[in-house]
Amino acid sequence: MRVLLVEDDQSLNQSLATQLEKAGYAVDRAEDGREGLYYAQEYPIDLAIVDLGLPTVSGVELIKQVRADGKAYPILVLTARDRWQDKVEALKLGADDYVVKPFHVEELLARVDALLRRASGWAQSELVCGPINLDTRTQEVKVEGQKLELTSFEYKLLEYLMLHAGEVLSKTQITEALYEEDFERDSNVIEVFIGRLRKKLDPESEYRPIETLRGRGYRLAVARGAPDPA
Amino acid sequence: MALVRSLRARVVLWVSVALIVLFAITIAGLDIAFRDTNDRALFELLEVQVLGLIAVAEQGPDDDLTLPSEAIDKQFAVANSGLFGALFDGDGRVLWQSLSLLGRDFPVDELPAPGQQHYAKVDVPGFPPLEALIMGITWEFGDGRAAPYSVAIAVSLEPYDARRQGFRRNLIGWFGGVTVTMMIVIGSMLTFLLLPLRRLERQVREVEAGERVSLTGRYPSELVGLAANLNALIETERRRLERYRHTLDDLAHSLKTPLAAMRTLFAELKPRTQDSQIDALNRELERMDQRVSYQLRRARASGSTGLGTEPVAVAPVVDDLKLTLDKVYRDKRVVCTLELAPGAVFRGDPGDLTEILGNVMDNAYKYCKSRVHVTARSTSAGLELRVGDDGGGISPELAATLGERGKRADESVPGQGIGLAVVRETVELYRGTLTAGRSELGGAEVRIVLARAGAL
Repeated sequence: MRVLLVEDDQSLNQSLATQLEKAGYAVDRAEDGREGLYYAQEYPIDLAIVDLGLPTVSGVELIKQVRADGKAYPILVLTARDRWQDKVEALKLGADDYVVKPFHVEELLARVDALLRRASGWAQSELVCGPINLDTRTQEVKVEGQKLELTSFEYKLLEYLMLHAGEVLSKTQITEALYEEDFERDSNVIEVFIGRLRKKLDPESEYRPIETLRGRGYRLAVARGAPDPA
Repeated sequence: MALVRSLRARVVLWVSVALIVLFAITIAGLDIAFRDTNDRALFELLEVQVLGLIAVAEQGPDDDLTLPSEAIDKQFAVANSGLFGALFDGDGRVLWQSLSLLGRDFPVDELPAPGQQHYAKVDVPGFPPLEALIMGITWEFGDGRAAPYSVAIAVSLEPYDARRQGFRRNLIGWFGGVTVTMMIVIGSMLTFLLLPLRRLERQVREVEAGERVSLTGRYPSELVGLAANLNALIETERRRLERYRHTLDDLAHSLKTPLAAMRTLFAELKPRTQDSQIDALNRELERMDQRVSYQLRRARASGSTGLGTEPVAVAPVVDDLKLTLDKVYRDKRVVCTLELAPGAVFRGDPGDLTEILGNVMDNAYKYCKSRVHVTARSTSAGLELRVGDDGGGISPELAATLGERGKRADESVPGQGIGLAVVRETVELYRGTLTAGRSELGGAEVRIVLARAGAL
């Protein structure tokens, strides 16, 4: 998942980006409103974290322009002004949630996670696709009730696939969502990770949860929701 | 005169005093003038009568002076005519007395020498007070003999006094009428003159109450400057408040962003350092944040009606907050119902209203199971806001804290503590009340009444 962070305070920007990366997000950083607006309009981001008190282009203006552009990804607002008027204005203009400074990193990550989940049409913090059960809060994955040990990258990849269950995701899309830097086009890292994930999810090759569509990408073929008890 | 506070009363008082003094002098002067005229008329009357008697006197059969009854004015023979006469010889013997004296003697103390005359007030028993003229003459008879005589005339003072009384009554009546008329004229003139001042006063009150943005309308040239200066003052006040708030916003930003950075850094350090140290640092940071948040939010609440702001309709503020909170608590799927009277307005700073309702509604969303109900209506006491939910209800301790006026809450429970403390203080700034009870939905209900500005 690719997150845009627009925050003018360098040290907060730096440490927050570190925390987001540690949590498995690809982070694009901007330190003023104009730069932030450029990224917000040009990069394939999944979520933007925008500070309201920005130089050059204000946070409110940025949100307004992003929404006017037709971009629908969730926007989380950071505000030092703990004022309802600001919150109301930001949310009216198209932001989706707010966090008041100074926030707990865990809380911010939980909000980011919830927004991404909602954006993909999941209402619960628990994503369920057939036998696969992923809890975004505890970051636990279970298959048919059995806990599964995944590396952080594998977890992010699975979460991304589950959030877009049923959709065809190209290698480029997946790469962009999980890594900040542009990758070598012919890198096979994604194939390797998909392969590992397949082994872990379905060691016996019973239900083949991840489909490969030649030349187009991958798809999580298990339908959303718990399997029919019948 | 410090006791008389109203300009109108002052003017009326001064004009009354001036009029009373002026009219008293005038009345006294006119009265004296009238008396003089009246006296002169009286003396002339007496003189005419004396001369009239002398004119008809003639030598009688006994060689003395006599007054032939047929030649004498008929009034002398009429009882109660108020005209009396007598003729004395040099020894004071009565030669003739008018019939109108009804047999009594004309009272004379001393007869004047010939050529002399004197006026005197005389009293005859049974008659009203009289004014008399007694004139001494020397009569030369046809045979060359000359003898002294005195002719006396008296007239009743009754009609004279009655005329004078009548004149005084008229005088006082007229001047009284003039005084009353002048008071009415001055009173209405003052009302008319003070009309713009009253309008100014009313408009300033309305500005204060948040019903009006500035002073408007045409003012007389003497007041134009004052009205313009007041408008400038209102504008300055508004700008000052704005600048103050911008400063607070900047302060919040520059204080809280480093706090946020520190907290994020602590999270980064956590795996490498001892947990207890980080926790201690985090606790300190938490306290700093609480203090800073509380003081900033407190400072921001203006509590003033914000000179020159219009009344704030409650409905759009609640709608916006509902939209915001519905988004923030999307996963909870809260059903928030609104019951907003169209006339419900808040006379004060819009930011304060948003702050009050935002905190209270946020709490309701946070602690409800699934339902929130917001009511706003105007009552005789002012604007009444109720926010209820179907949650676990408010703890008695918290409900008690809400009622305590003027208690500092920056050290109270974190979380809902600060929000509600700020709400309580803001409500107090508007001299409103904040109470907590049980909602019809089963949970807590917070009731806020914000007094009408005029009732302050």
